[in-house]
Amino acid sequence: MEKIMEFMPFMLEGAIVTAELFVLTLIISLPLGLPIALGSKSRIKPLSFLCKIYVWIFRGTPLLLQLFFFYFFFPMALNIQISAFVTVVLAYVLNYAAYFAEIYRGGINSIDSGQYEAAHALGVSKKQTMIDIILPQTMKAILPPTVNEAITLVKDTALASSLPVIELMKATNSAVNRMTDMTPFFFAAILYLLMTFLLTIVASRLEKHFSRYDAKGDD
Amino acid sequence: MSREIVLEMKDIIKDYGKFRAINGVDFSMSRGEIVAIIGPSGSGKSTFLRCINGLNKITSGEIELKGKTGMVFQHFNLFPHMTCIENITYAPIKVKKVPKEKAIEKAKDLLKLVGLEEKADTYPAQISGGQKQRIAIARALAMDPDLMLFDEPTSALDPEITGEVLNVMKRLADNHTTMIIVTHEMGFAKEVADRVLFMDEGIIVEEGTPKEVFENPKSQRLISFLSSMLRA
Repeated sequence: MEKIMEFMPFMLEGAIVTAELFVLTLIISLPLGLPIALGSKSRIKPLSFLCKIYVWIFRGTPLLLQLFFFYFFFPMALNIQISAFVTVVLAYVLNYAAYFAEIYRGGINSIDSGQYEAAHALGVSKKQTMIDIILPQTMKAILPPTVNEAITLVKDTALASSLPVIELMKATNSAVNRMTDMTPFFFAAILYLLMTFLLTIVASRLEKHFSRYDAKGDD
Repeated sequence: MSREIVLEMKDIIKDYGKFRAINGVDFSMSRGEIVAIIGPSGSGKSTFLRCINGLNKITSGEIELKGKTGMVFQHFNLFPHMTCIENITYAPIKVKKVPKEKAIEKAKDLLKLVGLEEKADTYPAQISGGQKQRIAIARALAMDPDLMLFDEPTSALDPEITGEVLNVMKRLADNHTTMIIVTHEMGFAKEVADRVLFMDEGIIVEEGTPKEVFENPKSQRLISFLSSMLRA
């Protein structure tokens, strides 16, 4: 127990890096998914083709491979020095944006064509229809799959441990090696669970918020 | 009644691939006129109506429209994430740039017109089908259309509540609102319309006053259509 107290600050530091990876990835990839989703639905053929190719590549290859690619290839190709953390965030963002784009696309497709027709009949522009009528209605539908992806992301951050990024998994591994004891694994599990638990709380709050306009029995 | 022409359509053709939904229709109507379009399903009457406001793009022909249209749909198409009053004020504020207070004031008048003042802050999912359609009518009227298009406004409603929607439409008729109504409600068409069009297979087969069309049908198609409606 004394020993674990020794490693706990180290592991908590790793947990903070994990949280940073998670938050950064999420706040960039969540909005980035939208233009990709809209692009792949665009009538401008080259644009929709490009967006579909993008999604195909990033969903179709292992995330770990993408991490290695960005870590090794990217700085070399551009002849610049980037920290491992930045390349990792970059890879996560591009990967998750592809998944979010597909979730958004599904959400947009689920909206009845009558909504577009009503907006058109009222003289609402296409852009304004998307912003005010369509997208707000997709929120409820895309929330559960988006939360699902976010939870997957919490755990996917562990893949960064294969690069020189000392996040929770890597910190845990070295703690286990040095202590020759398994307790850090349990401690790590608790930390991961804590993070996903926080996420589910946020999710259920949001879910309630987005179902405020559902039928509620007799008024 | 003024004879100002509000809508003029010439030789309208609408194809869906190889299927010709509208096969050369000429039509014009003047301000204040109320036209009912009847006909069997698949006759092209809804397609024709939707060509007027561009929901369906015509394949060929000419449309000259003086002013704006408003539309009421069979399935209401209210915006479910907005309250009833927000549904009504949204387009005036966003499209016509009417100040919010003014838009709300007008929406309240319209809610009164359709008899649903108390539903202002209710979401569409919480009201009945007939009430939804009345809100949809108010929403369309809020844009001050020169011509109201009704696409089978009561077809999705239970028979016992079509009356409340038809009553609102009668009120509009009394105010000389220019309207085209695609409908299966023969009694309503007879009572309210100045002119009735009978469409079948993408053309206007017969048109005239309600009296002419309902009491003195000339074509065999109209005769058999009317008798099938009677049997229904």
